[in-house]
Amino acid sequence: MRLLLILLLTLQINSLKADEIFNLLKIPNLEVYKLNSSNGLKYLNAKKNFKIGFENNIRCNKTNKKNLDEKSFIISKNLSIYEKDFLNKINLRFVVLCENLYISEVNTAGIPDHKKRTLILDINFNEKYFERVIHHELFHIIQNKFESIFDEKIWSNFNDKAFEYAECSTCSDRLGLDLYNETNGFLTEYSKSIASEDMAEVFSFIMTDKLKIKNIVNKDSILSNKIEFIKNGIKKIENFNL
Amino acid sequence: MIKAIKTSVSEKILFIFLILLGFFSFSFFFIIKNKCLFVESIDPEKIQFTNRQNIAIMNVECGNVIIELNPKLSPNAVERFKYLIQNESYNRSAFYKVIENTLIQAGDLEFGNIDNINYYKVGSGKSGLGTLKSELNESFKFDEGSVVFARNDEFNTEDSEFFITLKKIPLYVGEYTPIGKVIYGLDALKKIKVGNKVQYVLRPDFINYFKLLE
Repeated sequence: MRLLLILLLTLQINSLKADEIFNLLKIPNLEVYKLNSSNGLKYLNAKKNFKIGFENNIRCNKTNKKNLDEKSFIISKNLSIYEKDFLNKINLRFVVLCENLYISEVNTAGIPDHKKRTLILDINFNEKYFERVIHHELFHIIQNKFESIFDEKIWSNFNDKAFEYAECSTCSDRLGLDLYNETNGFLTEYSKSIASEDMAEVFSFIMTDKLKIKNIVNKDSILSNKIEFIKNGIKKIENFNL
Repeated sequence: MIKAIKTSVSEKILFIFLILLGFFSFSFFFIIKNKCLFVESIDPEKIQFTNRQNIAIMNVECGNVIIELNPKLSPNAVERFKYLIQNESYNRSAFYKVIENTLIQAGDLEFGNIDNINYYKVGSGKSGLGTLKSELNESFKFDEGSVVFARNDEFNTEDSEFFITLKKIPLYVGEYTPIGKVIYGLDALKKIKVGNKVQYVLRPDFINYFKLLE
């Protein structure tokens, strides 16, 4: 029995080849892309397809060199606005770049893991909103670390009483990322999925389209409260002027 | 009357073949099988150390490994490491996690002793002394022979497990609490048994003894 279990253990581990990156992040088939960024972020990319998570429910493909060079430039440019101290506070150190990221067979732009201080980003995700999505995913890292500051119940109370979010982001068909002309408390259709996605959408617009946000604040009292809530929350973490 | 029988050419060839076979078998069993054959023997008594109170000697199958501890970088970690060495806690601790040509890890005091190794739980053991706060240092370069405390996914979980790098790993800068550097005997560590394409090793090599020079 004991020998059988040892054999099973060996076979289970045998399925992947460990290296120093796997030892640190528990993600196989990665290689170092860039280590010397100004804010200390370390960029890695998938050299082969990988699967991770419970029953391998997360999968992503290896990167194409040309695509990687183009997209990593955009990603590092967007993430460079966050200073090292802020990134340390929110627990972000590693950015893993791969292509066609899926979680439970649903395509997603990114998967944050604040415990491992890692953000996995799909470099093929939605060309139109690619830059905004980077900040959206980063916000999930912030919220995971500072759940009490970005409390979802307080946030939900900003909405009309009749409104209800879906039970989860992937079990809703509210997936549109276009900015509404008439906002009515929500910037995009995806904002209506769940509270944390709503917060991430607001944060991403604050980071990428300040002018639009300024106009919306004057017209939409719900969104005005939401924007103020995000700004105050970020200030509590770091004196970081949004 | 018995006639003398001359050996044929084929018999002579067979005889030479058997002699050669015996020679190669002997070589394989007693020379090539000895993985420590080309590892230089390190005698700490013959080395002049300027920093004797921070020198630790780890004895493994292929000889001595001399580690210079660095309490200036991480005082609490080095204090814990010295305490465990002085208490002989690391003696017979298994190198249960080995990533070929990359790193070797030992120091699970609860489940990683070679006399009572628990393959299901090794890597999750505790020293009973509690966890340490991470003492990270961006100036500590992860060259070949860097000795650092291992941790789980989160910081401030260092206890007794440590690993030694067998190559330069710049990705690890600022990620692990440094303890010191191997100054002699790295070749002996490169001979530590590796798992078959896995990082966890069955019937692993182990530390014979670990002691401080003073």
